Amino acid sequence: MAKVFQLRRAMGAAWLILPLMAALSAASVAPSEELMVTDNPQGRAGGRIVVGLRTEPKTLNPALAADDTSRDVIRCMTADLIHIDRETLKTEPALAKSWSVSRDGRQYTLHLRQGLRFSDGQPLNADDVLFSFHLYLDEKVHSPQRDLLVIGGKPVDVLKLDDYTIRFDLAQPYAAAERIFDGLAILPQHLLEDTYRGGNFAHAWTLSALPNQFAGLGPFRLKEYVPGQRIVLEKNPYYWKKDRGGNRLPYLEEIVFLFVPSEDAQVVRFEAGDTDILSRFSAENFAVLEKEQTARNYHLYDLGAGFEYNFLFFNLNDLAAKGHPEIAKKQSWFQDPRFRQAVSASIDRESIIRLVYRGRATALWGNVTPGNKLWIDSALPHPAQSLDRARELLRSAGFSLKGDGTLVDAHGTPVEFSILTNSSNSQRSKMATLIQDDLSKLGMNVHIVSLEFRAMVDRLLNTYDYEAAVMGLVTSDADPTPEMNVWLSSGETHLWHPEQTKPATEWEAEIDRLMQQQMITLDYRKRKQVYDRVQEIIAEKLPVICLASPNILVGAKDRVGNFRPANLDPYTLWNIEQLFVR
Amino acid sequence: MKYIRRRLAYAALLLAAISFLSFVLLQLAPGDYFDALRMNPQISAQTIAGIRSEYGLDRSLAVRYGHWLLSVLKGEFGYSIAYNTSVGTLLWVRSRNTLLLAGAATTLAWLLAIPIGAWSAKNRGTWGDRACGVATSTLLTTPDILVFLILLFLAVRTGWFPAGGMVSLGAGQLDGWGQVQDVALHLFLPCMGLALTITPALIRHVRSAMIEVLESPFVRAARGHGIASTRVLFRYAFPVAANPLISLLGFSIATMLSASVLVEVMLSWPGLGPLLVEAIFARDLYVVMSVVMMSSVFLVVGNLVADLLLFANDPRIRVE
Amino acid sequence: MKQQHKLRVAIILLVGFQLLILFAGFFAPYSSTAQDRRSPFAPPTPLHFFDAQGEFHARPFVYGLKIDPGNYGAYRIDSTQRYPIHFFTASASYKVAGLFTAHTHLFSVEEPGRILLLGSDGYGRDQLSRFLYGGQLSLLAGLIAATLSVGVGIIMGGLAGFYGGWLDNLLMRGAELLLALPWLYLLFAVRAALPLQVTQSQVFLMLVVVLGLVGWARPARLIRGVVLTAKERNFVLAARGFGASDHYLFFRHVLPQTSGVVLTQIALLIPQFVLAEVTLTFLGLGVGEPLASWGSLLSSLQQYAVLSSYWWMLLPALLLVPVFLSYYLAADALQERFKSVSL
Repeated sequence: MAKVFQLRRAMGAAWLILPLMAALSAASVAPSEELMVTDNPQGRAGGRIVVGLRTEPKTLNPALAADDTSRDVIRCMTADLIHIDRETLKTEPALAKSWSVSRDGRQYTLHLRQGLRFSDGQPLNADDVLFSFHLYLDEKVHSPQRDLLVIGGKPVDVLKLDDYTIRFDLAQPYAAAERIFDGLAILPQHLLEDTYRGGNFAHAWTLSALPNQFAGLGPFRLKEYVPGQRIVLEKNPYYWKKDRGGNRLPYLEEIVFLFVPSEDAQVVRFEAGDTDILSRFSAENFAVLEKEQTARNYHLYDLGAGFEYNFLFFNLNDLAAKGHPEIAKKQSWFQDPRFRQAVSASIDRESIIRLVYRGRATALWGNVTPGNKLWIDSALPHPAQSLDRARELLRSAGFSLKGDGTLVDAHGTPVEFSILTNSSNSQRSKMATLIQDDLSKLGMNVHIVSLEFRAMVDRLLNTYDYEAAVMGLVTSDADPTPEMNVWLSSGETHLWHPEQTKPATEWEAEIDRLMQQQMITLDYRKRKQVYDRVQEIIAEKLPVICLASPNILVGAKDRVGNFRPANLDPYTLWNIEQLFVR
Repeated sequence: MKYIRRRLAYAALLLAAISFLSFVLLQLAPGDYFDALRMNPQISAQTIAGIRSEYGLDRSLAVRYGHWLLSVLKGEFGYSIAYNTSVGTLLWVRSRNTLLLAGAATTLAWLLAIPIGAWSAKNRGTWGDRACGVATSTLLTTPDILVFLILLFLAVRTGWFPAGGMVSLGAGQLDGWGQVQDVALHLFLPCMGLALTITPALIRHVRSAMIEVLESPFVRAARGHGIASTRVLFRYAFPVAANPLISLLGFSIATMLSASVLVEVMLSWPGLGPLLVEAIFARDLYVVMSVVMMSSVFLVVGNLVADLLLFANDPRIRVE
Repeated sequence: MKQQHKLRVAIILLVGFQLLILFAGFFAPYSSTAQDRRSPFAPPTPLHFFDAQGEFHARPFVYGLKIDPGNYGAYRIDSTQRYPIHFFTASASYKVAGLFTAHTHLFSVEEPGRILLLGSDGYGRDQLSRFLYGGQLSLLAGLIAATLSVGVGIIMGGLAGFYGGWLDNLLMRGAELLLALPWLYLLFAVRAALPLQVTQSQVFLMLVVVLGLVGWARPARLIRGVVLTAKERNFVLAARGFGASDHYLFFRHVLPQTSGVVLTQIALLIPQFVLAEVTLTFLGLGVGEPLASWGSLLSSLQQYAVLSSYWWMLLPALLLVPVFLSYYLAADALQERFKSVSL
């Protein structure tokens, strides 16, 4: 009788204890890591590579970094929810293993991988994502990324659905929505929240912070920073990717970023063997390095056109408010599309390719380069240089040649103007010199004004005190939407006539309409048709006369394995977790 | 003592004036640091304005200058927009590197100039002297940029010297002596280049100073007494010739500092030079002002030291 | 006397160079801006007297140049095309000192042959022609800046030395201040503040004027030193005793004594300011395209690629040496001459 009673008690206890144990075990065992499996050839673990940086990073705070170098280093230390594969130019899952879009295209629900940890071992969950986006959107933080998240005039709404699910609500459907996430690093709430609440976020994660104050989801974490010399990153043991053989990435033990201030110095050090990877250098240096390729165990790659496009444009601003009566008089020439078409027809693009880039560039007649295979309108005409056609266009626009060869307009004023260039960019200066010579054959008297970059920007965007300028832009992504501000007439970087209250010309109004349309059209084929039409208008009305796009030239030592450079930034390090040392 | 105190007070005044003037000049040039961001289509002007106000770039000139002065007194030397840290931290490391380079180069230059100049003066008019004259003239007319480029070129072609930087990778693992050797190896080329920029001028000055002294009566008298010529050269002639040379020393430090900017930039030596050039192009206001101040400090100190040496060397000046 | 000999040689050289550069149009076969896009970075054209068959021609000639199709940037000599050199030919017109137009060139070859004695630059422009025309701009700039510097230096140094006291202190401290300033930045500011309608050469000359006005510090100190000793000279004191005014003393007695220093300084400063022009062009502040100046000829050498692949681009730098040497020689000779006088 007592035994049965004891058994009953034991069973009773068991009924108490078992659920308790189950609860306890549920709490202590974290969900197993859902690592991403990558597709690359397997590499060898260990080793270190050295990469040159042209300037020092300004900060290691992902929410505040605006310059390229900081972003290059930060990219190795952080990860985003959805990533753009630089080879295919399409989006792929990153920290978010999957996502779904609502029917109206306004809600994106992302599912986080479970069981992932930051580089300091702390777990990642939706709270960190919420916190990160809160930071990016906070107006007091002044994050350069904030504007990416303002769609249709309203910032996106971020909601946590559960520990591993987040929903993003947009004010309107947005075709490039997935691509926004690329580069938006997820920050650790456990390390930054206090600093943020204390109002000190501007001083968080600067270069003077110690390595143990950082935590990220990237393949590497900060090991050491020596001011003026180098920054060293070491392997992140908690990185969330593994290769097909089940080995956790990255393969490399360490990356060293060496500060080498000029491109020539970088070339010299690469040749001497101090650095392993050389990213984006000029065609002249390519020729020099080419000679020693096999002898010094490195290889150079010419990846074809990138996303940079260089162009000449004229001042089409409304100058009534700013003064500059001299320039205003010349605008009667600049504003006539036939004048711009004549200028474009007279430019010897082939010589630009040959003399400025030693053949390693592609001529452009539109704003989208051949490097952007997804969006280029291949049906655009590529007329060769024709001085006759130029002269005909000028004649139809009322210009004529005087006896001594000078071109004069309908009032008899000789055509002369200046082209502004950036003194520190030798390629654009050279292009301007060649253009000046070409235009002299039409009878135009052109001279070149070389200014230092910020002085030039001041003239272009503040004082509007310029006549023509040679500039270049690099689109950061293949998708046309991130560059909207250049093509919208109200845009701040609508270089030739920024911030218009209403479109100054019919074709600018048309471009406005089309750009807004492509922004919300979700079907790629329909979007492409719309954007093709934009490219046609630009190529016909020539607000910018596109000249050339330099090829992407990179080099790497043979010992670097899995080196697959792409023509979109970051050219050589986009797959840094897959690189290894042979 | 009173002399030193007076000089120091005047030096402080000079530095204040320099800082104010460079501040004013910096405002003349159009554009500021954040103008580079305006060309980025993905960042709105509002955000840029917000960032600008956070760094205090929208406040009046007087306020900004006042802030900077206060910061100098605290030892922080203002805030660098580009590096996101106080300028003081940057200055300390970079100044040390520049002083190392300038000091080594000055020593090398004088070590070369004095014997060669003296020998040239002694053997004046001979073929050796003329050859020396041609060599120094040629070096004088060669632009610095060219000299540095040729050195860089040699470095790469021969591989005997590192092509830039101050330490090799993994130098942290070396022992003390190893580290010194490593730095010395990296120091050689920039030091050589920098020394070559002033050595020819120094040689000529030493030579002309020595010639003047060698022709003076007391040296002739000494020679007449039968004293050996080397002894005459160093024990009699040189101390007198040293006068103009000592003031030249103070002066050469100044030229050295400005030439060092170029060599540091071209040979990637992490000193004040690259910092200044980058800050000028980036319009990083306080860095430029602080670096200019720093180099003015070196200039003033150099001149002061030269004056003191002159004081010590020449009893005639002490009497004044 | 050796001194006079030296001075004479220096002056002959200087005048010779100035004439060469003044008549650049005559000595240069091409204009400084004529691009030839078929021959960028072409090496110097060798002159021949014997042709491929071994025949001698009294008139030297050059061969045609063809771009090697297989190897970008390399050239092949085409010995089938012979272009004899003609002397005293009449071709493109040019202006001498901006005054009168002439047509005669010392030597040239028929198109499409090109005679590039110093090779060509990245746009196919003849380096020799650019060197000669560039000299006009650079030497003029050097002369203007040097004259201005010394001119202002005479005023400042003279006043400081002559009157002494607080004026001396003020001016000399001001000089030190100027020496310490970032003149670079001032030049940036001036450059960016200039209106667009001004032509390139005007911008450059304006910058040079600024440079010259800022550079008075060093000559001022030297002149002050001379004035200090000069005003204590016996004959000056005597003249003062006779009741001469300050004005008379300064201009009639003291200033002439500074002539040695002044001339030496001018001779020394001209090459220094020309070298300063190189720095300016290095920073993109100097003469813009397509004008030639010695600075722009050298600035392409900063690119490592150019330095290692196109050795002939160094030749203009080498040619500078004799020109500067003649200035230094003159300065030396002047120094010696006036030293023996003033002691």
